[in-house]
Amino acid sequence: MDNSWKRYNNKQHGEFFDELITDTGRPRVATRNAVKMLQGLSTEEMAARRAAAELAIREMGISFTIYSEGKNIDRAWPFDIIPRIITAREWQKVSRGLAQRSRALNCFIDDIYNKQKILADGLLPADIVLDSGNYKAQCAGVSPRYGAWAHICGIDLVRDRDGRFYVLEDNLRVPSGVSYMLENREITKRVLPELFENHSILPVDDYPSRLYSTLAALSPREQKRPCIAVLTPGIFNSAYFEHAYLAQGMGAELVEGSDLFVAEDECLYMRTVDGPERVDVVYRRIDDDFLDPEAFREDSTLGVAGMMRAWKRGNVAIANAPGSGVADDKVLYAFVPEMIRYYLGEEPGLASVKTYLCMNEVDRDYVLANLDKLVVKPANESGGYGLMVGPHASPAKRAEFARLIEKNPRNYIAQPTLALSTAPTCIDDTVQPRHLDLRPFILHGKDTWVTPGGLTRVALEEGSLVVNSSQGGGSKDTWIVEGKKK
Amino acid sequence: MMMLSRVAERLYWMARYLERAEDTARLTQAYTHMVMDIPAGSEPGWDILVHILDGAPQFGERRVCNEQNVLKFLIADLENPGSIAFCIKAARENVRTTRDVLPEEVWEHVNELYLYSQEYAAVSIGRRNRHHFLEQVITRCQMISGLLLTTLCRDHAYRFIKLGHLLERADMTTRVIDVGAGALLGNERLNEAVDPLIWASLLQSLSAMGTYRRTIGPLVEVNSVVEFVFRDSSLPRSVKFCLDGIRRELGPLKNNTEALKILDRARRSLSRFNPEKAEREDLHRFIDRFQLELNTLGSMISTSWFMPIEA
Repeated sequence: MDNSWKRYNNKQHGEFFDELITDTGRPRVATRNAVKMLQGLSTEEMAARRAAAELAIREMGISFTIYSEGKNIDRAWPFDIIPRIITAREWQKVSRGLAQRSRALNCFIDDIYNKQKILADGLLPADIVLDSGNYKAQCAGVSPRYGAWAHICGIDLVRDRDGRFYVLEDNLRVPSGVSYMLENREITKRVLPELFENHSILPVDDYPSRLYSTLAALSPREQKRPCIAVLTPGIFNSAYFEHAYLAQGMGAELVEGSDLFVAEDECLYMRTVDGPERVDVVYRRIDDDFLDPEAFREDSTLGVAGMMRAWKRGNVAIANAPGSGVADDKVLYAFVPEMIRYYLGEEPGLASVKTYLCMNEVDRDYVLANLDKLVVKPANESGGYGLMVGPHASPAKRAEFARLIEKNPRNYIAQPTLALSTAPTCIDDTVQPRHLDLRPFILHGKDTWVTPGGLTRVALEEGSLVVNSSQGGGSKDTWIVEGKKK
Repeated sequence: MMMLSRVAERLYWMARYLERAEDTARLTQAYTHMVMDIPAGSEPGWDILVHILDGAPQFGERRVCNEQNVLKFLIADLENPGSIAFCIKAARENVRTTRDVLPEEVWEHVNELYLYSQEYAAVSIGRRNRHHFLEQVITRCQMISGLLLTTLCRDHAYRFIKLGHLLERADMTTRVIDVGAGALLGNERLNEAVDPLIWASLLQSLSAMGTYRRTIGPLVEVNSVVEFVFRDSSLPRSVKFCLDGIRRELGPLKNNTEALKILDRARRSLSRFNPEKAEREDLHRFIDRFQLELNTLGSMISTSWFMPIEA
């Protein structure tokens, strides 16, 4: 056995749950073959596999863009070759919980823009919904097909010390990362092909066709092949690679706002060399605020004037529907278990993290007194921006957040610092534990479907809990494995 | 197969910029060789290149028109939209946003060409490295054209790329002839010994010397060269060949009436022009007028397909 795994060889009762290795230092049952094979590789062989992965990433042109020092930099996708492995039995339960959550959130959005039963029944205070910047009054009274608003949703999961999955947050606006999930599998197939001989790993590569079917079912016109367009803000967006990738995977058009217009018949058209071509479904990857200068921000040049009119008339479907973000407010997160009971009459299948709402006096006092133990998050940010990890923050930072909370309590929530699970990760020539999370994607329309696995993001800095790729995170291929192959 | 106007426009410009980079490299290469061939004292000035390529406004009056400055302007100056480095950069920008309709290798090669030009353009101005750099640009552009030719489906994407290449090439070929006309214009000292040298090197720049010898004959003589380069319908870099090709590509497009009208006007003026009867002055004036017609065609392509009127 190569000594590069020494951090794992004599593992004692761990501080964290490890995805592949038990507290006694032995591989978990489902991971045994893979770990054995990987541990059998010499340092040189391991380095060669990693080099092959890097080459594949360059060749496949997998990149993401970061904006730094006034320049856009195209970075190669950071990838760790050791896969994260989850058993199919465990995943089945998680997957059911995700589908349930997505259904309940969609019921909630549809309710809020229509009858507002949940507010009338007093399950949650009306002002936290209606005063939120994510509530878009322009969407009131609209009933999209199947009552589906958030057709594509990314739900971030983490595993705590107890080994259970917890929902960390719901991303209902324009969640990204799914293309990396697909590419990660492609890379692993190239660089560790022998692992696939001994495992039966659920495939992920039908995502683009699932996405196509979900979107096509929304088409207002009865057509064999409805016209689907992926609306991107353009090449300078950090997820442009993904937009192009999904458009290609679905055989859809990749469009920018200037390619589209709404004609007098209140339908949406693309400008093509053969003249205007009607669009049935827009998979938009730009935020609500930029979608339509007539309805939202007037200064937006990314969107299409009149798109909201066309949508309200039912002449075009938009995924995710405008206004869906109303449900991914971090304050509302605390109420999702209630929503599940209220709309579906079921018990939540997935646990949520205990959440303190700074708007409540009792919670706020607790948060202010325990800032060194809590993670404080703004209610409306995504991508890991503007949050404070209490135990790692300086006293000055904590004081700053105390002021922010007192000034605008509605805008902050706090959660206990979770002991995020770890997995063996290649760091230089050794294998070390690093923290990770998981973002599965849920498609919801006529039916609900959950990706087998999702995108595992890993914090490459020792001890760090920040997994976002914009902040130095990497990623891993995620396997859902069925029992051993015969 | 449907094609977004924006995508069509970017493909068209990618092709124009690639063609312009290649043709500028060809012309610069030929000119350098020609200057070396002509006895000191009677060689034409470097300012001709700037004028022929319509670079005078960007070049400005303050810069001295010597070899170093002109070559820097044509090869490495990113402020000059006609420079090789600029064209390559612009071509890459256009490919970057249309990768999904092109074969994957096209992006890779265009990107490599860009990286190459970034690294070497500025240090390839002197005579010593110039030749190698220009050769590289020509070869790499040719490779990309070949790749497109042998891998692209014959659909709209191909069509707009073809249009871009042909229109740019037609324009650049007229400029090659204009170099001949301009270099010799009003320069009575240049005798018959020098004249063929100039025309031969211009034929070289079009990779047409061999064909010329086989079809016309071994003697390089102005009228025959002009006739050949303008009107030989089998020479791929002749103006006639390019215009015929444009006509074929315009044919299947919707909304092509206006563009065809302008194209046919240009084809008529080309066939009416008689090199035998034209003085150098006339030739130069004809080329200027003809380039305007090509410009009009370019604008019409842009109005007809890239900026469609809203329904």
